Amino acid sequence: MTNGLAVGGIYALIALGYTMVYGVLKLINFAHGDLFSIGAYLGLTLLVSLGLTTHVGGVVGLLLLAVMVMGLVGVIGILLDRAAYKPLRTSPRLSAVVSALGASIVFSNTLMLVYGPGLKVYPHGLLPSQVLYIFGLPVPVMRIIILATSLVLMIGLYVFIQKTRTGTAIRAAAIDQDAARLMGINVDRVIMLVFFIGPALGGAAGLMVGLHYGQISFTMGWIYGLKAFTAAILGGIGNIPGAMLGGLLLGVIESMGAAYISNAWKDAIAFFVLILILIVRPTGLLGERVAEKI
Amino acid sequence: MKKILLLLIAASLLFAGPAVSGETIRIGLMCPLTGSWASEGQDMRRIVELLAGQINDQGGLLGKQVEIMVADDGGNPRTAVLAAQRLASRNVVGVIGTYGSSITEATQDIYAATQTLQIANGSTSVRLTEKGLPFFFRTCPRDDEQGRVGVETMLNRGYSRIAILHDSTTYARGLADEASGLLADEDVEIVFFDALTPGEQDYTTILSQIRRSEPDVVFFTGYYPEAGMLLRQKMEMGLDVPFIGGDATNNPDLVNVAGPRAASGFSFLSPPVPQDLPSDEAQDFLAAYKEKYGGAPGSIWAVLAGDGFRVLAEAIAETGSTDTETLADYLKNDLEGFSGLTGTIDFDHKGDRVGDVYRVYEVDDEGNFILQM
Amino acid sequence: MSFNGNKIRIGIYMAIAVCWLTAPFFLNNYQTDVLNNIAIYAMLGLSLNIILGYGGMFHMGHAAFFAIGAYTTAIINTTYGIPVLWLLPLSGLAAGLFAMVIARPIIHLRGDYLLIVTIGMVEIVRIALVNNVFGITGGANGIFGISSPQVFGYPINGIVNPGHYFYLLTAFLAFTITVFYFLEHSRFGRALKYLCSDSVAAEGSGIDTSGYKLWAFVIGAFWAGMVGTLYAGKITFISPESFSFWESVVMFMIVILGGAGSIPGVLLGAFLIIGLPELFQELQQYRLLIFGIALVAMMIFRPQGILAPQPHTYPIDKIDEKSDDREVAR
Repeated sequence: MTNGLAVGGIYALIALGYTMVYGVLKLINFAHGDLFSIGAYLGLTLLVSLGLTTHVGGVVGLLLLAVMVMGLVGVIGILLDRAAYKPLRTSPRLSAVVSALGASIVFSNTLMLVYGPGLKVYPHGLLPSQVLYIFGLPVPVMRIIILATSLVLMIGLYVFIQKTRTGTAIRAAAIDQDAARLMGINVDRVIMLVFFIGPALGGAAGLMVGLHYGQISFTMGWIYGLKAFTAAILGGIGNIPGAMLGGLLLGVIESMGAAYISNAWKDAIAFFVLILILIVRPTGLLGERVAEKI
Repeated sequence: MKKILLLLIAASLLFAGPAVSGETIRIGLMCPLTGSWASEGQDMRRIVELLAGQINDQGGLLGKQVEIMVADDGGNPRTAVLAAQRLASRNVVGVIGTYGSSITEATQDIYAATQTLQIANGSTSVRLTEKGLPFFFRTCPRDDEQGRVGVETMLNRGYSRIAILHDSTTYARGLADEASGLLADEDVEIVFFDALTPGEQDYTTILSQIRRSEPDVVFFTGYYPEAGMLLRQKMEMGLDVPFIGGDATNNPDLVNVAGPRAASGFSFLSPPVPQDLPSDEAQDFLAAYKEKYGGAPGSIWAVLAGDGFRVLAEAIAETGSTDTETLADYLKNDLEGFSGLTGTIDFDHKGDRVGDVYRVYEVDDEGNFILQM
Repeated sequence: MSFNGNKIRIGIYMAIAVCWLTAPFFLNNYQTDVLNNIAIYAMLGLSLNIILGYGGMFHMGHAAFFAIGAYTTAIINTTYGIPVLWLLPLSGLAAGLFAMVIARPIIHLRGDYLLIVTIGMVEIVRIALVNNVFGITGGANGIFGISSPQVFGYPINGIVNPGHYFYLLTAFLAFTITVFYFLEHSRFGRALKYLCSDSVAAEGSGIDTSGYKLWAFVIGAFWAGMVGTLYAGKITFISPESFSFWESVVMFMIVILGGAGSIPGVLLGAFLIIGLPELFQELQQYRLLIFGIALVAMMIFRPQGILAPQPHTYPIDKIDEKSDDREVAR
């Protein structure tokens, strides 16, 4: 169960990126999962080439690494938008989705070509590996740290969106781009910001996964991305607290499903949940309407 | 209009095949250069090309240079069929390949129909040699043999509650089924039998389930990335049950992923790696590989491809012929105790490699793989 | 003017057809087999075209229908020994029924969500196949020993004789093109294209959009199921790897890049996407990367595909004859 929550925290972080982009642009950014992978790979490269944790003390080094990764992935996010989505702003929405798919293929294959098709391993011993015992169940302390970090980032984002002017601008643009423009909001800048924050969060998730689980592959973005997308839908796409809730919930549902049904069907269960939600309650738990009833 | 003309020209290029050369001996290599097993395929290519280069430096085979024709099977049956067709139409003496039983299976009939010798290196499904194909061989052992050795090991160590974990792939499932079948006749209990999803990172759920079933040992038949994660996570969870792995867990990255502490005490089955063979051939090969590519080969299956090539080269040299039937006959009847990179090689009438190929390895506290028997 | 253009176009089609039909005599087995692959994917693309090109429904799960057809044939043929070609309609039916069941609840979903659901569907099907659902799918090992199709008792062995199989596939391809051509120009085709461009207006004109969309799915699935039979009979061995999400992506690309809604476009798409990689073997590793870039570029510069569907032209005199409003027009 606790495992479910920790994994759910990761899903939630990635889901936030999906939901933010969707909220403002009404676009499902297929390439988002790959931004997660990029975060993991960049983290590894930076770690190894800069030898961060040996030069600087453990925690500081890691924080520095996190900031760098998030910044880089955020910039890549903006570039992605510029290259693949901006030219399609006025085109039918489906063109952008196909373009997103193309971008996703480009990212994952580029990773493969640059880093090789095998998996890559993060160096060990960077993170605490003690095991705490809570209610008699062993819980690795790292999972708690992951969950806590995810929550901190999510709450930070929520506060940013709700309480700051820029956050309000984002919300306005999400409701109605044209009206927002009329109000003097620079929508292009808002979009740029969204494409920075979302991917940055995804990149952070990638880094955490790399650090904790130790191995990364260029295909990891695919499955995490799809599950994060399910989480976003579960919570209500376009709705930030929804994404957080959805992520955590999905993590738990998955563990339970795997425990009680069968592990071999785990992915199928996740997909099934997705389909079920879209059919039965497309609004998600907290969100907006998805189906056009004709 | 212009576009269509351009396309017609492009199409005609498709059909411009290369001319047949009479001055080389062509040996085909079918391997996954792209797709999910690209790292295996690329390793296979490196090794076979290295060995071919060595032969050519020493004058070639039957006075001619050896030419390796590589075809990418892409790790899926459809593209493998195309790769096989391509090789079969290029006058190759024989084909080495491939990795992945269902990929190999898709191509068997093509080679059989064109009377091309096929030596598979990474296809352990039992039924591949049960079809009576006269020109099909494999340097890798079969799932039933590995199952037998695995079961023997577990029984010898006195385990009576056995958990079996696989990953739903052809290979892992096959091995898991073999093992459970053999165990059914013994006085032991299979307390757990399920699959994990490869590529996922978090296996704590399934480890918890395993813990609940209270096994004496866990037999994991999947691949090394998952094995590494399992070992690491089970240590984090404080799950103190010994794990035994199949040969797909044999890879140095296993220790990198799990960390030496978690990996210590893990046993696995595998054909002996060249590093553990005292023969001159094995040691020379390792030295040559290191010199050309740096480090040791990562995959035992790629080394088995190397053995496939060497066996074929030996057959050609000894029989002085490139005729498929002659070569097949030689391999089955005359090749004896050939010193391979993975031990001695003999083939039986089905094309299987005979002899006790499997050994048990254990990981020590520093993460080294130590041969046990 | 358009008459001449038409003549040229038809001339080109005839030339291509002749080249195609005589190809096996000039090519070796491998090259013929490439053409066989192109034919199979062309038919798959055409069946997807009904859903995606005419119906405008973004569907990335087409490999699931293909899989169901192939597996139906494989299972029934290996268990009961029924000849492969007789199983064509049955496989199609199985796939069609599956589509009917699956599509009904999701048909009203908005485009991008439908897309995600279809992805989920194809993955569930694949996982079910791998896990040997109901114990009949052979699991990850697949099913082998499927017989080759027989035409009047003469076996057509795709493995030994790709040339023979070529003509079988070509015959079916020609049949497919014919059927779909008439479908495109039929009432069904027109309705489908109408609701694709503007579903509100279509509904307002009295077209049952849900019904037509559902039928599009079923027909597309039915055909893909039949292609599955031909595929199974060719390789005589099937396993879940051939029916992954990426196969769906390939089919999707064939339609979108070639020209959604246009039969020549889809055919061209199949030729390029299946044929070109074989031509450039050394670049295999970059194949997917190139396709990804192509997708993005196409969407930006030419979203209708290489050979976009031609707008329909209706000769004026025909309209006038049927019109009762001649009085008004004058």
